[in-house]
Amino acid sequence: MKLYTCILLGIIFSVFESSLLSFIPAEFLKPDVTIPFIIYITFFTTPHAGLITSIVMGIIQEVLSTSPNGSIIFSKVLIFLLALFFKNKLYIDSRYSFSYICAGAVVCESIIYILLSWLAKGETKHIENVIFFMLPNAVFTGFIAIFIFSFVEFLNIKFFNKD
Amino acid sequence: MVIISSILILIISFFIFTGTPVFLKNYSRIKIFCSEIAGPVLKVFGKPVEGMKYVFNNYINLIDTKKENNALKKRIGELELENQKIHNLEEENRRLKSILKITEKNPGNYMVARVIGEDVKNWFKCIIIDKGRDDGLKEKLPVITPKGIVGQVVEVSKWHSKVMTIGDVNSSVDVNVEGRDTRGILEGTDHNVLRLKYITKNDEIEVGDKLITSGKDGIYPKGIPVGIVIAINKNKAGIFYDIEVMPYNNFKRLEEVIVVKRR
Repeated sequence: MKLYTCILLGIIFSVFESSLLSFIPAEFLKPDVTIPFIIYITFFTTPHAGLITSIVMGIIQEVLSTSPNGSIIFSKVLIFLLALFFKNKLYIDSRYSFSYICAGAVVCESIIYILLSWLAKGETKHIENVIFFMLPNAVFTGFIAIFIFSFVEFLNIKFFNKD
Repeated sequence: MVIISSILILIISFFIFTGTPVFLKNYSRIKIFCSEIAGPVLKVFGKPVEGMKYVFNNYINLIDTKKENNALKKRIGELELENQKIHNLEEENRRLKSILKITEKNPGNYMVARVIGEDVKNWFKCIIIDKGRDDGLKEKLPVITPKGIVGQVVEVSKWHSKVMTIGDVNSSVDVNVEGRDTRGILEGTDHNVLRLKYITKNDEIEVGDKLITSGKDGIYPKGIPVGIVIAINKNKAGIFYDIEVMPYNNFKRLEEVIVVKRR
């Protein structure tokens, strides 16, 4: 249930971000709203659920973006694997530590995208832009992650009873 | 098991990314299916956006003026909102009239579309419009506004289409300098300013010159305004100038666009 709720929230937030934020003339205000859900599901539920979340979020972002086919799914699944690797090494004790991990994941995602573009296609056109937005995206995603964590935890206590 | 599945998906997505036909074909089907589900959702989400846009443009910008006293503040706010509403309607009327002026010349050639979203990643510069395959759109169709060029359709689904703006780093437009015998390639930079390339140092060009499409790139029709030259670096080493161009359109502020169906 928690998995489906997180996936649904991720989809709704992504569509909302695409349609609602389009009129705000601020390029920096574009958090990656899918990352907190991938991290949350990977850290607090089963690895299987984490993999499903990362694939669905990757596809949704590719549908709402002109990114090259497969690139976002690749980076999301790799983020999931990294999160799985760090699951027993990092301890999320509050929404703030969760937000730091999400911000770090956004930085990792940008680096993964750059490396993938560079190694697979020799494509360097977008690299400058990805680097330019790497830190603002990470900071803003970290900020949004605080609220997402609180909201999901609220749902967790209220409806899922920490299942 | 999960790790093996993840690695398998990584390999598949890598092959999709590199354009391996077997993987790409199957992935395109999945993506089209998802796009067709996402289309109506985007349209539904687009509706409250109109209201939010109104609040953002009018109410939030007026908050500072509402610090005097409550009654007066409320009254001023109401009047201002009313005024702004009329102003917005006038603005919309003016915009739609200018679109109508273009479309009524050759009604079959143009299709007016509403912008319902934008790229969810700020790495790419794309907008999403509410017309798709059902409306006869296909890839590589030019998209314009009465002010000038916007970009080209890059992905079409049943309900909506993605338009890569000329600000995207992958975009190139063949342009002429209006009134001069100078031609170059205008490339996106992923920022507000575009870069005009391949203008040699003996070509004629000045700051303030207007650029129009040359029609030679096979995508954009000839003579559509593109932007204005804002800076020329004449001291750059090499045979070409380094030229910056400001597009006529602000891609973050587009509400309606025109898709040119027949060039």
